[in-house]
Amino acid sequence: MTRMFVDAWDPSYGSSFEGGEDGPASPSSAQVDTDVEVPAAEWAPIDVPPGRRAPDVVFLVDGVRRNDAGLWTQEEDGTSYAGLAASFAAGVVRCDLGRGSAELVDARVGRGLFTASPSAQDLQTGMIRYEVHRVSGQGEASKLPAAVQPQLTALEIEISAMARQTEDLLVVDGPLRNRRHLPRTLGFVKRQQSQYLSATLNAVVTALKPGQRTPVFHLGTVWGGWSWYLRLPGGSGAPWSGIVRVECSPDLTPEQAIELAELSGATLPRFASSAYKDPRAPQNLVPIAGLERRLRGMLGDARVLHRALTLATSRNRA
Amino acid sequence: MIRVSDEAELPRSGKLNAKPDNDPVGRVLGTADATPLQFWTAVTPGSYLQLDDVVVTQRELPDREPVTIAGVVTQVRARHEGAQFDSDVFAIAEGTLPALVQEAAEITTTRVDPELYVPPAPGAVVHRAEGSARDAALHFDRMERRIPMGTGRDGVPVFLNADFLDGTRGAHVSISGISGVATKTSFATFLLYSVFRSGQLGADGANARALIFNVKGEDLLFLDHANTKLDQPTTAAYKLLELPATPFSDVRVYAPPRAGDSSGAPDVSSRLTGVDAFYWTLEEFCDRKLLPYVFADADDERQQYTMVVHSVTAHLNRYAVAAEGGISIDGRRISSYGDLVDHIVEQLTDDDTRSTWAGSAVNMGTVNAFARRLIGSKRDLSRLIRGDLATRRPHQIKTAESAQVTVVDLHNLPDRAQRFVVGVTLKTEFDEKEKAGTGRPLLFVVLDELNKYAPREGSSPIKEVLLDIAERGRSLGVILIGAQQTASEVERRIVTNSAIRVVGRLDPAEAARPEYGFLPPAMRQRALLARPGTMFVNQPDIPVPLCVEFPFPAWATRKSESGPPPAASMRSIVQGADPFAVVGRPGADDDIPF
Repeated sequence: MTRMFVDAWDPSYGSSFEGGEDGPASPSSAQVDTDVEVPAAEWAPIDVPPGRRAPDVVFLVDGVRRNDAGLWTQEEDGTSYAGLAASFAAGVVRCDLGRGSAELVDARVGRGLFTASPSAQDLQTGMIRYEVHRVSGQGEASKLPAAVQPQLTALEIEISAMARQTEDLLVVDGPLRNRRHLPRTLGFVKRQQSQYLSATLNAVVTALKPGQRTPVFHLGTVWGGWSWYLRLPGGSGAPWSGIVRVECSPDLTPEQAIELAELSGATLPRFASSAYKDPRAPQNLVPIAGLERRLRGMLGDARVLHRALTLATSRNRA
Repeated sequence: MIRVSDEAELPRSGKLNAKPDNDPVGRVLGTADATPLQFWTAVTPGSYLQLDDVVVTQRELPDREPVTIAGVVTQVRARHEGAQFDSDVFAIAEGTLPALVQEAAEITTTRVDPELYVPPAPGAVVHRAEGSARDAALHFDRMERRIPMGTGRDGVPVFLNADFLDGTRGAHVSISGISGVATKTSFATFLLYSVFRSGQLGADGANARALIFNVKGEDLLFLDHANTKLDQPTTAAYKLLELPATPFSDVRVYAPPRAGDSSGAPDVSSRLTGVDAFYWTLEEFCDRKLLPYVFADADDERQQYTMVVHSVTAHLNRYAVAAEGGISIDGRRISSYGDLVDHIVEQLTDDDTRSTWAGSAVNMGTVNAFARRLIGSKRDLSRLIRGDLATRRPHQIKTAESAQVTVVDLHNLPDRAQRFVVGVTLKTEFDEKEKAGTGRPLLFVVLDELNKYAPREGSSPIKEVLLDIAERGRSLGVILIGAQQTASEVERRIVTNSAIRVVGRLDPAEAARPEYGFLPPAMRQRALLARPGTMFVNQPDIPVPLCVEFPFPAWATRKSESGPPPAASMRSIVQGADPFAVVGRPGADDDIPF
């Protein structure tokens, strides 16, 4: 009889992997080299080596965004463009596991008015300024939210370049992308969308026990690099629950990548969240969840901003 | 009204400090309502505020000078911001979840200057009030005469406005707290000491008298003995309050005569010198109508025999004739209380004489009830009401002729005798004051177990006297310092007439009663765990009770810690009365004691 599992993620967040019964559905066209650590034929779950300890200091970077208001412009010639006023924030948490303190070391808030309107100006509401970011093309309302992401990513990259210590680790929420030059940095992918491994090797992924990882493999895509799967504790027991994909810079040697992989196995499981506290448990790490809460607080009250925008636009019209 | 202009001339005036030099300790919160009378302050990281700290903030106004708002911390709290679940604390302590520890303090406003009741603006800087700003915040600068009563939690002296103690604007002190840990009597004696020694009352303070009833142990009998356990910190605490760390200087102790002792020697065991015996002669008993005080239980008043008590009292007053210490009535010589009781009972049971003693409309049952009670009092009162001792020997408690502090020792006496002594002594003193008609010199009466003498229910002669003192004593200069375990069981009018309310450690059930409504909720909680030596004092011109720590007594409170007796009490080993004094008195030739 088929065994059933309820996905730990809140349905509004989708699922931690998207696809059929075998795992991530859409097969990737990327060239995957699975013989980096061990030959593909000998793939098996890998435990954390006994002597490997988590670093004392772990930095985690994440960003949040919120759409504050949708707008419509009225141009001189009578045409109209959609606009989106959005707030976004990025921050860094410094988890000092040795001292037992987690603190927000830096956070930045940005606000933007995203529109294709050629004549739109910055929106000033009291102390707050929404800077205009012109979107190319027609700027349909449905495409505007996607335009916010590059700004947020830029902010995250900007903030990731803060002072570091020698023995620390930086965990970036999401793929590394253009942060691959940062030292000792891991990309942490919560949601598995592409299927990089063959069905045989995927069986190794689903056979992982909490804390275990797959051997390191190499992705040959543009943003590719060294990568491996890791199962976090606290999943429902379903084959793909609690599985994350971790990646590091392709500029590293295979030995350095393997060392980082071992380090991730020792570090990340202790940050795993529990299901009743986080709708995306266990993949959404505890410090990230705390950081997101703090950042959302820094975005300001949505209702206040919405009202301020309404006031500012009506004053501009008058 | 705060009269800013007048204050500037007073030497110890302190305007609310407009620009304190010290660092800000926090900012007014915006997540909770800020009101003119109460607001919350977020504490700056790295600083702290504790309960009872005094703080000050300012509110800018568009068209006039800024308003300075000062207050006292009445609650403090700390919490993790960014934590959602109780278990998040472990993740935070482990260092995986970022969170802020934020402390906040609730401030209850004590003063607004100028008097413009606007709320402080959220975000406004809050400073610790020190020096003259603290004095102003606690209204000390407006007190023309201020009596030190201890130090606050911050170690700086706090004061009592003398106007509310000496009857100028109010009088009477009510002290409540659990017996043993609340140190009610210690605080009362310290307050007296401060009144006498601080010099704030001027001549009134020096001339004032105190009448203290010692109801438990012999701990108040050593007020004039130095405390051998007095240490350097305690002396320093006295010095801080500008008081000398010495015992009371002028104390007279009265004790009841030893039971069954015909010489009338005082019944004390630990203090051997400078103790006088007190008693009443049968003549005084009849002449001054003291019989009702024998029936001073609250339940006595409810009985039918009150009528009998009053007619017998009147009869004794009219027909008893003084005869060599004793009395003579109906041609019979009576020389002891026991004989008097027997005679009265005999006359009342005799059908022929009953109506002359008790009136005609009294039935036998009532007379018997009266007789039973009267006979019952023989054992308790025969040592206090005497017919066998010299009339002219000093034996009465009169504060006007006694020392500055008169201690009446009751602890050896049974309940009925205690009531008799308290009732008669207070009545006598109050009558004297009434006759004199002036409010000076002040007389402070310290009475513990007020709930026994003036219970909320019923009435008794003592309760009448105490009510009289509470209601009229202020103008006559009689100040009641009453102590009780439970203010809820004391006559309401006595408690409400007390301008100054003091609370030590309270019983949890008692603390919830409306009598303690003057304590803010947090303070009420604290009163449950107040340490000995910590009191909460509420006075009319400060809207928040102050937490006071008063120093350890500089006088001995028991035999073991008492130093050598003062020279004055060495006069006599047995009693302070000079046996030769009677010789020189006019008309004393028939009563030579040897």
